[in-house]
Amino acid sequence: MANTKKIQDSYIDYVLTNGEAPKSVYNFAKELKMTEAEFYKHYASFDAIEKAVWEDLTLATIINIKEQEVWPQYTAREKMLSFFYGYIELLKTKRSFIIYTLNKNPKKITTPSVLTNARKVFESFAEDVVNEGLDSGELADRKYLSNKYKDALWIQFAFIIRFWMEDDSAGFEKTDEAIEKGINVTFDLFQRSPIDNLFEYGKFLSRNGKFKEKMGF
Amino acid sequence: MKTQETMPTTKVERSAKFVKTGFRIGGNYVKHYSKKLFNPDLSRDELNEDNASDIYESLSQLKGSALKVAQMLSMDKNILPKAYVDKFSQSQYNAPPLSGPLIIKTFTKSFGKPPSQIFDTFNLNSVQAASIGQVHKATLNGKKLAIKVQYPGVGDSISSDLKLVKPFAFRLLGMSEKELNIYIGEVEERLLEETDYELEVKRSIKISKACKSLKNVVFPTYYPKLSSSKIITMDWMEGLHLKEFLATNPSQKLKNKIGQALWDFYNFQQHDLRAVHADPHPGNFLITPGEKLAVIDFGCIKELPDDFYEPFFALIVPGLMDDKEATIKAFRQLEMIQPNDDKKQIEFYYKAYKEMISLFALPYTSKVFDFSKPEFFEQLYAWGEKIARMPEFKQPRGVKHFIYVNRTNFGLYTLLNELNATVRTDTFQPHFSK
Repeated sequence: MANTKKIQDSYIDYVLTNGEAPKSVYNFAKELKMTEAEFYKHYASFDAIEKAVWEDLTLATIINIKEQEVWPQYTAREKMLSFFYGYIELLKTKRSFIIYTLNKNPKKITTPSVLTNARKVFESFAEDVVNEGLDSGELADRKYLSNKYKDALWIQFAFIIRFWMEDDSAGFEKTDEAIEKGINVTFDLFQRSPIDNLFEYGKFLSRNGKFKEKMGF
Repeated sequence: MKTQETMPTTKVERSAKFVKTGFRIGGNYVKHYSKKLFNPDLSRDELNEDNASDIYESLSQLKGSALKVAQMLSMDKNILPKAYVDKFSQSQYNAPPLSGPLIIKTFTKSFGKPPSQIFDTFNLNSVQAASIGQVHKATLNGKKLAIKVQYPGVGDSISSDLKLVKPFAFRLLGMSEKELNIYIGEVEERLLEETDYELEVKRSIKISKACKSLKNVVFPTYYPKLSSSKIITMDWMEGLHLKEFLATNPSQKLKNKIGQALWDFYNFQQHDLRAVHADPHPGNFLITPGEKLAVIDFGCIKELPDDFYEPFFALIVPGLMDDKEATIKAFRQLEMIQPNDDKKQIEFYYKAYKEMISLFALPYTSKVFDFSKPEFFEQLYAWGEKIARMPEFKQPRGVKHFIYVNRTNFGLYTLLNELNATVRTDTFQPHFSK
């Protein structure tokens, strides 16, 4: 375990000092005074290190926020907000490296490969939060749609990270605004809304076709 | 006046128009960012264009109130009914309450720990909205505290809002950029100061100390160690807002007492401190159970430099305005009469401003003034309406300091009118270094 951490830290340091990944695993291992085989025991490649950094940060955030006293009193909406505020705070400690890993990946709509592990962690967290919200009635249970809620939250995740990368306001204050407004809008959509009622009404009308005919529709 | 076919007339329709614009602008952002999600290299030009055209469209249909907004930037703005001013400032920061997690984050950023570790109790639900933040209730060592937390990004949105107003103001008022910038600059400076909570705490402490000797005026204690650039901690003040106070049917004697406290508070600051609490909004005052006036917000302070104070308040002292030469000299110093005005213009502005200042100074001309008299306010509003229609007043005149000094004094008069108070107006007189 100690070595895993050491490799991670040395790799981050190397990348930030040199602006690029080491030439080869052999080179890097030599600098760490370990064999290449020893390196592979911990990581399969440099990419694997980068993925692990993201995954660790995501996990650490979730553990952190759950330790807060207020956590059990939070609604699903507040839990998600709390995650993002905590996450951005934590990412700040490694901002240069985070930006390096994301800039390496071309900007596309698909998830950058460096985020694959972090995505799994986040989505399982999001699913828990959403399910809690569904159970308590905070969120609307909609056929076919409810299990897409976590995907909507993942889109927010990607958006917020991109926003933060380009945020040049003092203390990343604008990212705070982006989180507050974005997550609130997303959860507003998850809640029962006039559209649900409209849908219900439409269903009712179609089920009662004979009235429709009588009334001349 | 030319009527526009689609000009919304009722109040409801007007505000609906603003809501619609808000929606459209929100929609433009959504459009922009959803496009950007798929094409990250999209520039903001298209977005800005969309926004500008939507705002312009709604402003040009709203000519009436948009003009009033622009007029507020001119020195005569506060003669116009105060409601316009309030509407404008409220619509600027009509923000939903901050979420609990964001409050915690703001505390953690400022103090390194959440509010639950700083206070004995802290209510995450805010008790009321302040102009650019919200107020929470807390307790520490048995003391009730009020904690003001600022919305993130407020400073930024003030600058961008004013930038948005600018081009429309040019177009609608036909003012030159240079002329308008002086006034916009003054407003922006005050508004940005309001977002600096550290400055507010410093000033609150300074002014409440200076005003300690005033009768029937009280201030909360401020706690600099529990305050930061985004958070202000002060004592929780018990009391009623003006409207609630009036609803309890207070005696005339009590209303006069509160009115006197207000008058003394403002005139002591103007004439002795030469810096004045420039936001006489009813929400900034409480009437305590002990029948005192509590002042709870020092966000907006206007300092009065000598080169404004001396010529302006000299006009108020009875006698000076009987001397036409001296009056014109003072008007020139205050830039109400400008160097390239011709004889006819000098005569015109001399008369118009003399009328205004005589009105303004009326409470000072006697030892006691009854603010419940409607005639005084009718005259003020009539004058405001009259000059709003005069082409000679299309260009703003007067030094920039008028914006906040007028706002303060007319705001004070309006408060005293709502109180129906009769006050002694000779308690704190203007005095000069000469």
